[in-house]
Order: sequence, then structure tokens, then C-alpha cells
Amino acid sequence: MHISDGILSTQWCIVWYAVALVFVALGIREIKRRIEETPSYMPLLALMGAAIFVIAVWHIPVPVTGSCSHPIGTPMSAIIVGPFATVVLSAIALIFHAFLAHGGITTLGANTVSMGIVGTFTGYGTYVLLRKVNLSVWLAAGMAGFIGDILCYLTTAMELALSINPGSVLYHWGLYSLGFVPTQLPLAVAEFIFTAAIVKYIADTRPDIIAKLGGAIDG
Amino acid sequence: MDNFIRNSLILLVVCTAVMCVAAYAGYVSGAGMEGTDGIVEEHAASTGGFEAVEIVPNVGAYGDMGEYVGFTLAGIIAGFIFGYFWIDIKEGGQRA
Repeated sequence: MHISDGILSTQWCIVWYAVALVFVALGIREIKRRIEETPSYMPLLALMGAAIFVIAVWHIPVPVTGSCSHPIGTPMSAIIVGPFATVVLSAIALIFHAFLAHGGITTLGANTVSMGIVGTFTGYGTYVLLRKVNLSVWLAAGMAGFIGDILCYLTTAMELALSINPGSVLYHWGLYSLGFVPTQLPLAVAEFIFTAAIVKYIADTRPDIIAKLGGAIDG
Repeated sequence: MDNFIRNSLILLVVCTAVMCVAAYAGYVSGAGMEGTDGIVEEHAASTGGFEAVEIVPNVGAYGDMGEYVGFTLAGIIAGFIFGYFWIDIKEGGQRA
């Protein structure tokens, strides 16, 4: 989902930056508030930031399609440290990714919107919703990872279509989605597995950590 | 060291080992496999006359050493920061 510099038009870069900045500002405010309440929130945040950085830059080959891609890690982070804080972590991780030839600086806003906002909030929303209908923690978390991952890539496809093909957005959105999804599906399954495993592990062993930090895990 | 910390550390080592093995397997078997991000983006750009440009320096451009040095420095800095706050995590309290 990393879009490089030069791919999106200037207008769309500005639009995505504006959207991302609103969420980042809300996220910074949320982080400040939580750190004041619980100082141990900060190291957990750093841990999640490192996790997102590694997970979202780790290209895994999918031999069936002959290409490779990566999971995103933001749904897991959203469940553990909260969605708004995860947006900030995503933006920071994406800045570092740019130095590894993943994404760019002018497209930082667009990449933050797809991975940091859509991936985060759809994953978090899925988890909360599925827990409300009494699905088990691991299944709800796994589904959050899967849905957040796929929707992140569909958003990237939409960003490309909106900027590059304004006259035929839906057609090109479908076309670019078809380019992403075959490789992304196995990775979304991987995202399901590690999100479910990690969230379930924390919920089973130390739910107090998350409860104290205001995360969504409810045991 | 309680069970949670011990199990977390074991999990960390296992995850790191899996990532290393997977990265090596990817390097050996997936050499030449291009990322879908690049494939789709290049196709999209070609339909609209856009082209990817490099604005920020890429540490990978300095060869494998660039990435090794970059990741090592990041690991050292992150390790110091995380180590400094370790007591807060473990004890859940304020640093004295």
C-alpha cells in the first residue's frame, strides 16, 4: 500500500495530508492524555510503533502470484493501544519506511490514510462490533486483522484511481484492487493469525495491562 | 521474571527467528519477486503519465550495508529507549 513520491497529483497529496493531519492531531492529544494518566503507556506505544514499522515493511513472497507484499499491523495496534494513537504510530513508521524505498514523503498523507486510518479504524471497529455480539477474543481480533488489511489495500487502490484516473474512478479502482487482492489475501490470512494470537495471548495472560491503558481488550 | 515476561521474551525470540528464516527463504526462493505495491503503482502511473520519483534518500541504495547500519542504529536507539522505560513496563509504576 506504499505509494511512492510522484505518483499522486499535488491536489490529492494535499487532500490526503489534510485528512491525515486531523487524525494525527487527535492522536497526539489522545497520547498526551493517556501518558498523563498512565506513564507506562509510552513504552507500550513505542513497542507497538516498532511492531508496525517491522510488520508493514516486511515483504513476504507469495509464490502463487509471483509477487510479494506485506501485512500492516495497525488493527492489532489499534486493539491494544487504541485507534487514534495507532494513527500517529503509523505516520511515524511510514516516515521511516520512506527511507527504505517504501512510500514517499509527498504521499505520506495518502499512505497514512490507507494504513493508519482505514486499516486502523476498520480493524478496531470490527473487533468492537464482533465482541459486542459475543464472538471470542481471538476470532474478533483475527477478523479485525483480516478486514483491516484488505480494506487498507482497497483504499490505496481508490487513492490511485481518484488521482490518476478521475474520469473512470470505479473502473480503475476495481482494476487496481484486482492487482492487489490476489497477493494480499494470503497475507490477510497471516494478519488474521498473528493478530488473533497476540491479542488472545495478552487477553489471557495480562488483561490488566490493556485495561489500565484503555485498550479494547476485554478478556 | 514472571511467566508473562518469560513467555513474551520466548515469543520475541521465536518471532525473530521465524522472520529471519522467512526473510532468508524469501531471498532465496523469491528473488526477483516484485512487490505488488510497485507493480500496481507503476501500472497506474503509466495510465496517467505519472512516474515515481525519489525525494528521500534510500538507505538500501547504499547496498546491503546501508540497511544493516540503518537497522543496527535504529535497534540500538530503540533498545536504549525501551530499556530505560523497562521498569515502568514491568512494575507498571513511575520511575524513581
